[in-house]
Amino acid sequence: MTSEERGNISGDPEKRILILGVGNLLLGDEGVGVHVARKMMEMDFPPQVRVVEGGTDGFGLMHVLLEADRLILIDAVKGGGPPGSIYRFEIEDCPPFPDIFKTSVHQISILEVINLSGLIGSTPRTTIIGVEPKCLEMGMELSPEIEAKIPKVIQLIREEVVLSLGQFPEKRSVEVSST
Amino acid sequence: MGKRITIDPITRIEGHLKIEVEVENGKVKNAWSSGTMARGFEALLLGKDPRDASYVTSRFCGVCFSVHQMASVRALDAAFGAQVPWGGRLLRNLVMGAEYIYDHMVHFYHLSALDYIDIMAIANYTGKDRELNKVKEKIVGLVQRGDTFPLTPRYKPDEFSVKDPDVVISAVKHYLDALKMQIKAKNMGVIFGGRAPHYQSIVVGGFTQYPDINQVARFRSMLDELAAFVNEVYIPDVVAFGTGPLLPLAKAGIGGGHRNYLSYGSFEMDEAGKKLLFKPGVIFGLDGTKGKRVEPFNPEKITESIRYSWYKEDKPKHPYEGAQVFDLGRSDAYSFVKAPRYDNVPMEVGPLARGVVDQDPTLLGLMKDYGVKPGAVARHAARAIETKKVVDAMYHWCDELTAAMTRPGFKIHDTAHWEPPAEGEGAGFFEPPRGALGHWIRIKDHKIASYQAVVPSTWNASPRDERGIRGQYEESLIGVPVPDPENPINVVRVIRSFDPCLACAVHLIDPKTNEIRKFMVE
Repeated sequence: MTSEERGNISGDPEKRILILGVGNLLLGDEGVGVHVARKMMEMDFPPQVRVVEGGTDGFGLMHVLLEADRLILIDAVKGGGPPGSIYRFEIEDCPPFPDIFKTSVHQISILEVINLSGLIGSTPRTTIIGVEPKCLEMGMELSPEIEAKIPKVIQLIREEVVLSLGQFPEKRSVEVSST
Repeated sequence: MGKRITIDPITRIEGHLKIEVEVENGKVKNAWSSGTMARGFEALLLGKDPRDASYVTSRFCGVCFSVHQMASVRALDAAFGAQVPWGGRLLRNLVMGAEYIYDHMVHFYHLSALDYIDIMAIANYTGKDRELNKVKEKIVGLVQRGDTFPLTPRYKPDEFSVKDPDVVISAVKHYLDALKMQIKAKNMGVIFGGRAPHYQSIVVGGFTQYPDINQVARFRSMLDELAAFVNEVYIPDVVAFGTGPLLPLAKAGIGGGHRNYLSYGSFEMDEAGKKLLFKPGVIFGLDGTKGKRVEPFNPEKITESIRYSWYKEDKPKHPYEGAQVFDLGRSDAYSFVKAPRYDNVPMEVGPLARGVVDQDPTLLGLMKDYGVKPGAVARHAARAIETKKVVDAMYHWCDELTAAMTRPGFKIHDTAHWEPPAEGEGAGFFEPPRGALGHWIRIKDHKIASYQAVVPSTWNASPRDERGIRGQYEESLIGVPVPDPENPINVVRVIRSFDPCLACAVHLIDPKTNEIRKFMVE
């Protein structure tokens, strides 16, 4: 499904939702997904919502992907906008693999892992919430302009969750571990 | 002057390793290996609480994260003077063992095998096996949709590629089975590791979480499934490939290189720490499979040269003394990778190094029986054979752990040495799946004063040194046949056989198109 078709989704309160933040914590704004996931691990979500901080892992995240019906992926994205721009798009909005996804992690990236997981199970519907980085230099902190966008990113993720479940998550439970 | 070919990146999808080769008369005449990305994460650690080191270093790499944690806690154990109880060491071993199974299996099936098979041969399968026909249907379906990535090899199949549809289809089925198996191996590590990636429970002094008997039972039953796969699928596949279609490459020892091998040794098998699963040692110039003495390993003989690297330093230094100051103006430099040397000599590290240093009878027997020389194919064999060795050791560690748990005063942590000392230094040596890994720490005023990691791929991928001696990747490419400069598949096979891992860093999504911009929400 592409972003144009987003209006057609119907909510399902039983849907297993995975909020997955990825990136390298040691490379400044590259770690934005990790920072967002860490903040969200402290928040209340119903039990079918899981928050995972995936670091720069690839293959190692396949097991959590396969246990989800819906994936919200948070990562740094080079979309060409000014630093701090926030993007929301469906995985299908991107042209097909391989030449467009310039990623590194060893030999295989998270987007390829999502693709590969389809070979042994069903791939969750995937929305990417991306933030345009400012600085990718070594460092464990975010740039102030990126840090300032985290509340908005979290709000967007919560909207996705509500849209997917068809209701506002009310049950109180905290997911702290990732696996 | 031969023709220059550049392969960038060499990793399956994208990485930071660039290989340049000069080809003359269908063979590689000269080679250069460049790490194209600046590293030096160690600088982040300076001034921090030493106990943070194991968590921060686990972020050095997204794939081999936990092994940095392990080398780091071993350096910290030494610097703090901690005596890790047997229970703590066993739990560390079990988590690392799971990592071995995961890593080696993924390397063979998902990162390497496609360099050796012609996947399109699947369409010619005419057998009646229901399972295999399902595989055929799936792959042919993907091909028809134009969506075979990342199953498609980047290079054209050549005379060594397996084209027999029956063999290819079963290899692809095992590729899919291994996808499921690697999930099990990951989940197994999490039983004791607490979470993945970036395990929480491995700390200086030992382990944080006491195991219960149900966890050990669960771990063991997952190990049973993985052991069956390793013994009945993985090893037979590697042996069948290596002694079948790839035997000419194996016998020619393609990709052998300097044939110097280094192993730091790892994995204590008994409480006294006398017996190790992998023995430490060094071999200079292995010729054939026997007759060469294994020398003892002396950590003082490690230096890092920066003669051809973009770093500011004058002469080769021991890792305790090394620093990470870049100098991009150096005229001859061509890599961000330093050149580690042992006794001034380049070394190969990894499964083949461990196997020959250990004089492993299964590996040496296989090499002798089939006339396999050290090289790319031998590396795959060594990796498979040592996976079984680790699996067998894991049963032993499970037994030891179960016995230790029932003894009074069972401990997993040396709590008396949890606080950082005012001063101290320590080296942590470990053999991760990819080979010798060392971390060096110095503590002053209870904080980290210096930190240095020498990673396995640095040994293997190093550039030339002061004497102009090539690194192991570079040397291993000399003489490799490249009949078609447009299709340097043998170069890729050789480098990939080392399980290169240099990317260790940037992960962002770069769609290389302005299309994504229209999805900007703020």
